[in-house]
Amino acid sequence: MIEEPYRWVEAIQNRREYIEHQLAAGSPIVGLSCADGALLLTVGRERQKIFEIYDRIALGGIGHPGDIERLRMSAIEVASAEGYSRSSQDVSLRRMVSYSMSPALKSAFEQIYGPPYLARLLFAELGRPGEPDLFVRLDYDGGFHTNGGPFARNMEPFAVVAGKTHAIEAMERFLRGQNFEASPLEDAKAVALDAWTVGHLALTHEFDDLPSPSEIAAHRREQLRNAAVEAALLDRHSRGPAVYRLLGAEPKPEEVPVEKSVSHREPLGLAEKG
Amino acid sequence: MTSPELPFASHTRLDPATAPFEDFPAMLRRRGVIAPITPATVGAAAAGTTPPQTEATTILAFKFKGGILMAGDRRATAGNVVVYDRADKVLEIDRYSLMAIAGVPATAWEMARMLEHSFQFYRRSQLQELSMDGKVRALSKLLRDNFGMVMQGVGIVVPIFATFDPVENVPRLYFYDAMGAQFEAAEFAASGSGSPAVRSVLYYANAFGSRPLSRMNEEDALLLALRALDTAAENDTATGGVDRHGRVYPVVKIINQSGVVTLPERILMKAYRRDLQSLPKHTPKFAELE
Repeated sequence: MIEEPYRWVEAIQNRREYIEHQLAAGSPIVGLSCADGALLLTVGRERQKIFEIYDRIALGGIGHPGDIERLRMSAIEVASAEGYSRSSQDVSLRRMVSYSMSPALKSAFEQIYGPPYLARLLFAELGRPGEPDLFVRLDYDGGFHTNGGPFARNMEPFAVVAGKTHAIEAMERFLRGQNFEASPLEDAKAVALDAWTVGHLALTHEFDDLPSPSEIAAHRREQLRNAAVEAALLDRHSRGPAVYRLLGAEPKPEEVPVEKSVSHREPLGLAEKG
Repeated sequence: MTSPELPFASHTRLDPATAPFEDFPAMLRRRGVIAPITPATVGAAAAGTTPPQTEATTILAFKFKGGILMAGDRRATAGNVVVYDRADKVLEIDRYSLMAIAGVPATAWEMARMLEHSFQFYRRSQLQELSMDGKVRALSKLLRDNFGMVMQGVGIVVPIFATFDPVENVPRLYFYDAMGAQFEAAEFAASGSGSPAVRSVLYYANAFGSRPLSRMNEEDALLLALRALDTAAENDTATGGVDRHGRVYPVVKIINQSGVVTLPERILMKAYRRDLQSLPKHTPKFAELE
């Protein structure tokens, strides 16, 4: 089959169609920057879709749970090994994606006798103080898009993934018309949920003009009847090195992300006397 | 991030069925980040043939009314040389765990780093916090892995570990031997060259003091820890004790249900000074104030 180049191209094309078809129903995931940090948000029914990868890196993924799991583990491994052998300051999403994950995904996709990864991932990395947050959308074929970079394009404060290109475009169009970069978390969550709704509508409806606020509200209400919002924040105000925080239920002590406690806090009972 | 030849993803990962048992150190060994463990070379180094190693002493921890107080002097020595007088031997592993180290800092700090990364790696990969027993055991495994080095005469570490049990809602204290055996301490633990003196002081205070350690308030607990380290430094040159004139104070941390708190040096200074001031005027320690 692969002796003839055009057969290989054909096989790749078939494989692409197959994967796109598998991903098409995936519930969108929205990533955006706000005053309180970098937010990842989706709406789901049962399984977790947003994960902590490293101190300042989080992941959201659509696709086959087994493949998302393998990619998630690889990302954690690569970041943790780097953070241990050098320093957590040296772990960078840009390098992790472009040097480790993208080539591996590309070869898995193009080696047509092996299984490809059925997954589309959205990574978020909280920027250092004064730096913008980085979002990277990584595809099953190793291709990736960032929300801008050190090159020509200005950084956009958001990125999305969805099962269909049409949905991704609609969500991006919606987010470009919104103002959330300086907003507090709750407002940013509302925008993200609206963007998710636009994306979810676009999975089943082709449209040129974005749905109206009332259409968005109606669809959101309907969807939330049987599903719940899943969201996590890379917290800009976190004092420890690990900034990932699941949003929603108040965390129990053992679920609080590990972080250094505040050194030099005044201990109780030792208030200074004279 | 990792060199391209290094393994990635499923091709080199363990079988998914066994992968959950691979811990952080094993993952690093598989990826070639750290060397595999070599078998212990028993008796390879005859006594006296190893050069003096940098060593850290003395550490202590005990339970008091407000949790567990853990303290360590600041001195690191190699043979009879003072290498460093500001060593930090009480290390925060996570929000609810403290490790104090006695022994060779090169190994001990690496162990602390490994432990810190292990707990995070476990939480991130397994999507749940490592249990308290799992944390206690993780340190035990690191000590066991290090035992080959210890038998060659280098890199001995004898730590103390304190953590908060979220199930029983009580703080727990453990000490270890160099082979990795873990012992839960009921009241107090001490390690390092000054530990015989520290253990005596803590035993004495607990048994014959005006109240047992477990009922002490924070200020009394702090002063007891400082006095114990000062006592240890009196007979053991490897222990730094409390250096008021050089303004080098022990590192003191407290762990309880709200996490780890570090007592700032300023507080230690004032508390210790008040302690000396409260002594009868003819005592030698009061005279130190002059």
